[in-house]
Amino acid sequence: MSLNWSGQERIAADKSTVWNFINDPAKIAACLPDVQSTSLIDAHSFNATVGVAVGPVRGKFTFKIVLEPRADGNHMDMKISGGGLGSVVDMVAGADLSADGATTILDWKGTASLRGPIATIGGRAVDTQSQRVIATTFENVKKRLSGSG
Amino acid sequence: MSTTTDGQQRHAIGVAMKRKEDPRFIRGRGRYLDDIKLPNMLYLALVHSPYPHARIKSIDKSKAMALSGVKAVITGEDLDAAKLEWLPTFHGYDKQMVLAFGKALYQYQEVAGVVATSREIAADGAELVEVEYEPLDPISDPYQAREDKIVLRDDREQKTNHIYHWEVGDKAKTESALASSPVRIKERILSPRCHPAPLEPCGVVADMNKATGRLTIYMTSQAPHVHRTAFSLVTGIPEDKIHVISPDIGGGFGNKVPVYPGYVVATVASVIIGVPVKWVESRTENLTTTGFARDYHMDVEIGATKEGKVTALKVSTVADHGAFDAAADPRKYPAGMFGIVTGSYDFPAAFAEVDAYFTNKAPGGIAYRCSFRVTEASFAIERGMEILARKLNMDAAQFREKNFVKKEQFPYPSPLGFTYDSGDYAATLRKALDRIGYDALRKDQVEKRKRGELMGIGISTFTEIVGAGPGKQFDILGIKMFDSAEIRIHPTGSGIVRAGTRHQGQGHETTWAQIVGEELGLDPQELLVEEGDTDTAPYGLGTYASRSTPVAGGALALAARRIREKAKKIAAHLLEASEDDVEWKDYKFGVKGVPGKSVTMKEVAFAAYTNPPPETEPGLEATYYYDPPNLTFPNGAYIAVVEVDKDTGAVKVLRFMAVDDCGIVINPMIVEGQIHGGLTEGFAMAFMQEIKYDDGGNNLNTDFTEYLIPTALEAPRWETDSTVTPSPHHPIGAKGVGESPNVGSPQAFVNAVMDALAPLGITHIDMPLTREKVWRAIRDAK
Repeated sequence: MSLNWSGQERIAADKSTVWNFINDPAKIAACLPDVQSTSLIDAHSFNATVGVAVGPVRGKFTFKIVLEPRADGNHMDMKISGGGLGSVVDMVAGADLSADGATTILDWKGTASLRGPIATIGGRAVDTQSQRVIATTFENVKKRLSGSG
Repeated sequence: MSTTTDGQQRHAIGVAMKRKEDPRFIRGRGRYLDDIKLPNMLYLALVHSPYPHARIKSIDKSKAMALSGVKAVITGEDLDAAKLEWLPTFHGYDKQMVLAFGKALYQYQEVAGVVATSREIAADGAELVEVEYEPLDPISDPYQAREDKIVLRDDREQKTNHIYHWEVGDKAKTESALASSPVRIKERILSPRCHPAPLEPCGVVADMNKATGRLTIYMTSQAPHVHRTAFSLVTGIPEDKIHVISPDIGGGFGNKVPVYPGYVVATVASVIIGVPVKWVESRTENLTTTGFARDYHMDVEIGATKEGKVTALKVSTVADHGAFDAAADPRKYPAGMFGIVTGSYDFPAAFAEVDAYFTNKAPGGIAYRCSFRVTEASFAIERGMEILARKLNMDAAQFREKNFVKKEQFPYPSPLGFTYDSGDYAATLRKALDRIGYDALRKDQVEKRKRGELMGIGISTFTEIVGAGPGKQFDILGIKMFDSAEIRIHPTGSGIVRAGTRHQGQGHETTWAQIVGEELGLDPQELLVEEGDTDTAPYGLGTYASRSTPVAGGALALAARRIREKAKKIAAHLLEASEDDVEWKDYKFGVKGVPGKSVTMKEVAFAAYTNPPPETEPGLEATYYYDPPNLTFPNGAYIAVVEVDKDTGAVKVLRFMAVDDCGIVINPMIVEGQIHGGLTEGFAMAFMQEIKYDDGGNNLNTDFTEYLIPTALEAPRWETDSTVTPSPHHPIGAKGVGESPNVGSPQAFVNAVMDALAPLGITHIDMPLTREKVWRAIRDAK
């Protein structure tokens, strides 16, 4: 089963600040909701253990998150792969950065492929949960960059 | 004494005796697999592949092994080193991985086993086994498999997903007859993948005693003897060192016929470690890995004259067998009894073919409460006949009557090679029509249609084929499909009866006692029936495919008659008469022409041990191995009446009438119970159940929130009746009934819904007829 999302976020910080922020695995890890623990692997990747509760699938999922910044500083790809409780999630997300004055615009899209019990639960439940995770992550990014978080 | 369904006065047959096994079941005193707890027992949990198709790059056991309480982690590589990685499939034409080795071929396939001191630790250990996969593109559709763009099985010499082509009948004659028929229909009819989902899932306790060298295997087995032989053949352990015990079983429906990886891994673990190892699967494991049923995509073509006489039938089927050809079909019949697809009708020409393919789905293809593909065949012909009746603008009942095999045509040689034993299809249908008030219902339907209401009447006049079977045609792993019985009458006239079958709720402990009681004039309450222990029961092929009464039932009657032969000698001695003058009459031995002089079987039994005639072996027991001369052909006429809510697509079953002809009825209460249960399963298949896979190979129906089981709230009220045409070749004239309602009913429901939707021009919707599917069909038709 595949799920697709896309959207645009406006962050009240300049592009280089945003770029530096999203290049830092420790900072990104701190913005993910329901994270129980993280461990940095290297400068561009980390492991995260996340609490999951979608329908009957309840427990811990472990993900490896790899950041793949493009050299021009305008695009970031993120690969998230892992799972737990017999389920597997493979996600690829990408964001284009552009400046609008002092604001940075993130045009992003993501695709996730689900396998195992998490796929059985059905797209709607997983989609709703995923959208909540995405929204919370961006909120946290915005809070931290605006200094309020 | 009771009057049986054929009008005869009988001693024990035909009595609605309460089931002898029920007191222990309803009081929670049954002994099921999971009730077995042995000292020092370890527990097995399995690791499953989340991918439907993936190369296994590595398996890291270290974290699991480091968990306190974990005793062993077993992988396909370990089994391969022990030459236990591959199992033969039923008919021996394919082999099946025990644990995924090299590649995982379906989602939830077993990849490793973790053995630990508790069930919980084993499950935690399974979570810690790290498997690195390289995902590959999956195939979830047999028509895609047919293209061979991706070949799934690289372990096979033939680089194709095509497994076999099987055909029966006269193709040229059939095609020519179809071409010249003035009226024809052609429809692709799917019998969707479903699952028997017994309430008790599968399990095993393997107990290797290293001191005695004896391996005791408690397992949820519908065929304990065959499993003992299979274990011996695969492991090389002598068969006398293997003891299979099949305890009480909470439903089987064919699901407990195959050998599953959990059984093998638990056994290997016990053999290595030397302590008992238990494995009991979860609901999800049961639904995702053990024997599924159906998945037949059938192109049905029927020709007829303008007057409505059928001329020819052609059925071309694409069968989805999943990752291995583990279909539970006899060796000579890779598509089982699909040749019964001509059903109850006299076709001058017929041809059926089946092509089977591998896909990335769970393997199996078991006969879910049906005799090897008879459900698929029955669904195809009954849907096809309904569609043709509508095209001819004929009444569905009259069209069937016109084309029935007539009662005087029995024994009837079908164009696809079977010889039907007996039946009176017209009388059975007539009884069902009368009981339900068919003519009045049709009038009612006309009125309702005028008001825009969607009411439908669906008929199914099916013929089953059961009782595999004649050993010359049917075998499993080369073992002929006979069955057996052993009877020992004790000195005081009670006795013990053992058979090679294994009941899973069918009531054998009662029915077998009634057969023996009938033959010997003894009280069935004093005859203990025992099955399922290979150390004590005679060798038999087990219980599935409605074969118990047709095969073991015959063995029981004939073993009892052997006892009666010996008893007659003893009776002659007691009566001081010549054996030639002694007759068995009114359930006792008498002397011809001397009324009032008689001895009972109880008296004979006592004499067999205390006062046998000179030169006569003491004791009173017999064994019989029965290889039936033919199959039996139970049949029936089922009628469903439904109404469809055109705004929501919801279907309500208003009435359901089932008239069954299963030959001589041994216990009418048990038969009625079997029919109620089977009809409820048929209802579930028609409206609720399907094991679906998405394009990515994900199984979407992995538990009871997604795979629905009807309860008393959903199930309609069933009305039942019977006709009786005894099987002429069966020792007591019985035909078997366990599967008839499951085989015969889905098409009655679907035909009824299609009849309701006829004014909208809707011809066919594939099962299950969920509200969504029906609603969409109505919306699209507007």
